[in-house]
Amino acid sequence: MKTDSIRRAVRFLGLVLPLTWAPRAALAQGTATGQSYGVGVTTALVNQKVAQAVLPAGEMLAQNQASDATVPGLVTAQSIFAIVNGGGTDGSDAVSSVTLGAVDVLNGLITADGVVAMATSTVGDANAEGSSLANLVVNGVQVDNPAPNTRMSLPGVGFVVLNEQIPTTGGMTVNMIHVVLQSTVLGIPRTTGNIIVGSATSSVN
Amino acid sequence: MSRLKALAGLTATALVALVGWSCETTRTALAPSTGEPRFHFLLFQCQPLKMTGGGRIDFPPGTADQNPPASHEYETFGAHVMASGQFDENGVCVADKGELEWVDHRPEMEINGHPLNLHATSVTFAELAVDTDCSDGAVHWGGKLRVQNTGQENLDFEVWDCDNGEPGNGHDGFAISVPEIGYAVMCPDPNLPPAEPSCTLTGGNRQFHPTH
Repeated sequence: MKTDSIRRAVRFLGLVLPLTWAPRAALAQGTATGQSYGVGVTTALVNQKVAQAVLPAGEMLAQNQASDATVPGLVTAQSIFAIVNGGGTDGSDAVSSVTLGAVDVLNGLITADGVVAMATSTVGDANAEGSSLANLVVNGVQVDNPAPNTRMSLPGVGFVVLNEQIPTTGGMTVNMIHVVLQSTVLGIPRTTGNIIVGSATSSVN
Repeated sequence: MSRLKALAGLTATALVALVGWSCETTRTALAPSTGEPRFHFLLFQCQPLKMTGGGRIDFPPGTADQNPPASHEYETFGAHVMASGQFDENGVCVADKGELEWVDHRPEMEINGHPLNLHATSVTFAELAVDTDCSDGAVHWGGKLRVQNTGQENLDFEVWDCDNGEPGNGHDGFAISVPEIGYAVMCPDPNLPPAEPSCTLTGGNRQFHPTH
């Protein structure tokens, strides 16, 4: 009787234990999302994104590009490449990037020779490594390697956030140049629009 | 009854040995080669795998340091490959699917005023490299690509792809060669960990998945 019980227990463990085993990759399964774009403008009159790449659900690569981008009076840029990667059905990783050349925002108020935005997400980690601004000049001032979320005033215009890094659930968004357009009414600044140059978002959930 | 048991035991032993033998198979794939002396990426196994991700490599490649901000000496890319671990009739470990988008931002590589842009039109082989120090996995893969700037196509390419833990920046590696146009971004220094000729990423991540 006792022997039978032991046999049954061994049989049970032999059947059930293998079912509880899962390889590392399977344990890391999640949903990878990502998008990137070269230029994004939202004002009362304009709502536009140039060279936007969005990772479709379950897919592993999306890309878009534009040789030139012009939003009259607001921003121009050249050679834009947006690439987004994800882990597919076992989405344990996502990398979004966008690169631009010859950027000019608000008729020379902000210029850069090159912009790279890169957002990398893996299970439990997200970073903006690989992001950079080449020869960035803001209102006549050269700005080298701005720290994350560097804010500079733009008198009469609003302000700009450089190397903007925004944590999200399971990932992050990186906006390399984010101009917030403001007007002042009765002494109170009011946001009237946004210009974003070089935006990359990725997440793993 | 005891004969039956002995037969079952022998059969089970033979099956285990057969499976073990099939897993141990190591072959050199019939893939394009640079012809240079190699220290890693010489031994391969044909097995199910997937490698995903993207990244950035700064020029001159080989370290995790980014170039000065004024420089455009870097490449960015997105790439993935999937394989089921099957040989074709020529002994090539075939890829199920894959994609590569590669942009070289170096001014000297510009064509018609725009960065060199390579786009894979097919990914034909993918094999697990078993002689690297890439902690999570390394894959040698490739196929055919098109130079987007010029329309040149059906060009062979190969890639040396390394997942060496997290984060990818400063750890993982990637290298590419397109012999027919004399284009390569490779780091053939055997002292560079974890696996030459792959170049250390300065951003992004490579993610190896042992199955797909």
